[in-house]
Amino acid sequence: MNPLELTLGIMTAVGGFVDISQLVFSGQAGSKFGYVLISAFAISTIGIMVFSEMCGRVAAVAHQPVFSLMRHRLGLKLGLFTLIFSFLSTLITCAAEIGGLGMILNHLTGAPYAVMCIASTLVLMASMWVLPFKWIERTYGLLGLFMVVFVVAVVAIHPPWPKVIGGFVPQVPQGLSTKEMLSFSYFVVAILSAVMFPYEAYFYSSGGIEEGWGAKDLLTNRVTSIVGMGLGTLLSIAIVALAAQLFAPANVAPQIPGSVALQAAIPFGKPGLLLALLGMLFAVAGAAVETCMANAYSVSQFFGWEWGRHSKPWDAPRFTIAWIAVMLVALLIVLTGVEVMSLVEYSIVFSIVVLPLSYFPLMLLANDKSYMGQYANKWLAKGLGWLFFGFVTIAAIAAIPLYLLTSGG
Amino acid sequence: MRRALLPFLLIAACSKGPEADLQYISQARSLTAEWALVNEQAERGHLTAAYVDTMHQDLRQQLQSTAASLTNPRSAYGRQIQAVLREPDDAPPHELRAYASKLKQIEDSLESA
Repeated sequence: MNPLELTLGIMTAVGGFVDISQLVFSGQAGSKFGYVLISAFAISTIGIMVFSEMCGRVAAVAHQPVFSLMRHRLGLKLGLFTLIFSFLSTLITCAAEIGGLGMILNHLTGAPYAVMCIASTLVLMASMWVLPFKWIERTYGLLGLFMVVFVVAVVAIHPPWPKVIGGFVPQVPQGLSTKEMLSFSYFVVAILSAVMFPYEAYFYSSGGIEEGWGAKDLLTNRVTSIVGMGLGTLLSIAIVALAAQLFAPANVAPQIPGSVALQAAIPFGKPGLLLALLGMLFAVAGAAVETCMANAYSVSQFFGWEWGRHSKPWDAPRFTIAWIAVMLVALLIVLTGVEVMSLVEYSIVFSIVVLPLSYFPLMLLANDKSYMGQYANKWLAKGLGWLFFGFVTIAAIAAIPLYLLTSGG
Repeated sequence: MRRALLPFLLIAACSKGPEADLQYISQARSLTAEWALVNEQAERGHLTAAYVDTMHQDLRQQLQSTAASLTNPRSAYGRQIQAVLREPDDAPPHELRAYASKLKQIEDSLESA
């Protein structure tokens, strides 16, 4: 295991952890329910650690990407249903990320939102065309580390630490009305969805295959999944704590993503604001690239096309056309004028519905000794896998009714 | 699936008046409070000019869209939201906070009703 590679892998996972949905829901969760929902972030992060580690292990040992598995394990009909649903949810997520990029660039430069959406899409497409896979992942992941300013801001504002630490213990706040209870439940489901987005699994496992992972990389996979995502979730938790401390007393439940940057401006002034906006910009740009490529990977793997960024764009023409088309359609969705916050909510609800179908075939394969040999799931991975499968299934059933009953929280 | 969702869709579609407007009152309260926070931090020199200008545009646009979504725009809360919209971009933070507090009171009273 190369320590430099490992460190870069962990830092990339940290910087690439947050996306526009997490920014929005972290800010709102803290201002509406104080520190209580920190536990929802912590538990969901264990879930994404479990499934990412499984994805990476299956990619390294069986060399099978998620959508190839899905077609074989779920059959053509259910596999195609999952592909269509997951494609749509990831496309909406990609549009939300592009809209988020436009908004952040608008706050940074003052240039018109639509122009910034178009410009950022072109820059993302150019970087995806030119850079090899590893450097696409690293560039955005490492630059996303500017978001660490939120963690430093939490320390600077001296929050009530016993309350912050108490937030890690799962609990339901006392004295909530039925309406508030429904809203709380919606936030739990939304956080689970935002942290465990299915595109992350598609991107991570396809990336493992792109980088030619083998059994020798299993330790790197485990450490990157657990440490990288564990540290990454600290960024979201920092935003929750800052919102509880700074936004809740001021009656603010951020309605536009740009408001989140105020959390770093309050203690650090202009440098804090600029670092926060830059961190948000690169983290959201990374998520836009991941969602776009995850959709191109899914379609190509399902239909058995040549895929991957390890080869030149013209060597995998259908894959290349797929990611270009996804990016352009996502941009068109944004340019229709639909609000970024609405896109975020749709992507959260769609994604949670497709989550059980994404993780089920993966878990079957990771449990299968005939495929995985000595690297098949042991009792801990099996137990956690089924536990989180249960959580995401319950969340998938509850998501749409909760969304309708609470008008999105 | 459609049958299972029907009761929820009916509940969501049938609400009217203050009950249905509660989400918009809550949004307006937060947007007004965000505006106050932006102006307070701008006064302290903590924000860039580009950020302040674009936040003002976004906040005003969102407030207009929220006001347009109310089922009862002539209500007390509708008038409060219109009053906020008449404020200049650089309105004093304490004035905006006062509007946010009034909207919060209306929100709380409707929630407990």
